[in-house]
Amino acid sequence: MRDEEIDEALDKAARVRREVPAELLNRIADAIEPTLQPVRALPPTWVLASGLILISAAVALLGAARAGFQGVEALSLPARLSIFGALTFLACVAAVHLVGEWIPGSPRRLSPGGLLAMASVTLLGVFALLFQDYRIEPFVFAGVTCLATGLLHAVAAALLGWWWLRRGWALNSVSAGLTAGVLGGLAGVTVLELHCTDFQALHILVWHTLVVPASGTVGAFAGWVLRQR
Amino acid sequence: MDGNLEGLMAGYQAGDLAAARSLIDRLSPQLHRFFDAQSRNPADADDLLQDAWLRIHRARHTYRRGKPVLPWIYAIARRVRVDRYRRSVRTTIHERRWEQAADEVSASPAETPRAEDLEALLAPLSESQREVLEMLKVAGMSLEEVARATSCSVGSVKQKVHRAYEKLRQTMSLPELKRSGAIP
Repeated sequence: MRDEEIDEALDKAARVRREVPAELLNRIADAIEPTLQPVRALPPTWVLASGLILISAAVALLGAARAGFQGVEALSLPARLSIFGALTFLACVAAVHLVGEWIPGSPRRLSPGGLLAMASVTLLGVFALLFQDYRIEPFVFAGVTCLATGLLHAVAAALLGWWWLRRGWALNSVSAGLTAGVLGGLAGVTVLELHCTDFQALHILVWHTLVVPASGTVGAFAGWVLRQR
Repeated sequence: MDGNLEGLMAGYQAGDLAAARSLIDRLSPQLHRFFDAQSRNPADADDLLQDAWLRIHRARHTYRRGKPVLPWIYAIARRVRVDRYRRSVRTTIHERRWEQAADEVSASPAETPRAEDLEALLAPLSESQREVLEMLKVAGMSLEEVARATSCSVGSVKQKVHRAYEKLRQTMSLPELKRSGAIP
């Protein structure tokens, strides 16, 4: 059987119109009528995404201002450009993606999991190229401190982003939570890059990068909890 | 058709009752069919339709003027159906699991195909293949619009359609369907 014949059969069957009972349609119209008031449309995507980027940048800068900017001061100019260029690019991608999660029917070129993978792999690549000191001392204590600092700021940025998009309509709260977590995680990594002076490769590759998947996981879990309510 | 829908949607956002009623009258038959194809229970389809319109009503400010209406509507309708399915099975099942389950062929002996309609032809397909073909054939959406409504890429939609056609090629060659006149 050829595709054209299948098309013809499907089109023929699809043309058969089925009516919905008028009383059901009336019931629906009656249900929405009392609350049918003019609504203010959402701002354009670029406004919402810019707001998210500004919120993330503000959280990162405030966090670093409190802890100190020793990390960025100790970095070379090419390293600063590479790290903060990559973080800015990833934050833009994550912000646009997050806005899409809050508006039904938005085009999606990347799944939330794909976004998380892209952010993690990009950061790993940039860090692996820039940091070559493979000593590991003290690995766990310093690492956990950085992870906790990064996560704290990630959660703050994600919550503020959630608040910023509160007029939107997230169809899938798990995906929205994961994406918000990734964006918040990028803010957390930015705080660490501005502040942390531990330039051992494994410390940065493991503990700094881990902020993004950990924050994404927390966000997805929060979305899952919200969905159960 | 979608051009008119955009005007009606703009009226709906502006609080115009006539526009809201027109939108409900025009889109409800295809949405009802969309739900009916999945639930196979008219009462369920009625409930899902009402639930969908209530959500559309609450989310109407998220529609962007000038953008296609159908992907926005179907994205919400699809979520209504997924939520209902999840509640009906077990509330704690993860969505990914549902999507995996949806890729399995869902034809069962209890679901006797109604050879005279689209649902009968689509019965052997998986849930995800069926919903894509419903959107393409009944709603008349483009591949890009279906991709928006289902939150996936155009490539993924094309793959689902390709697999659906492969499956249909096998099932539609069955002599019973030919005899019933459902296929040429």
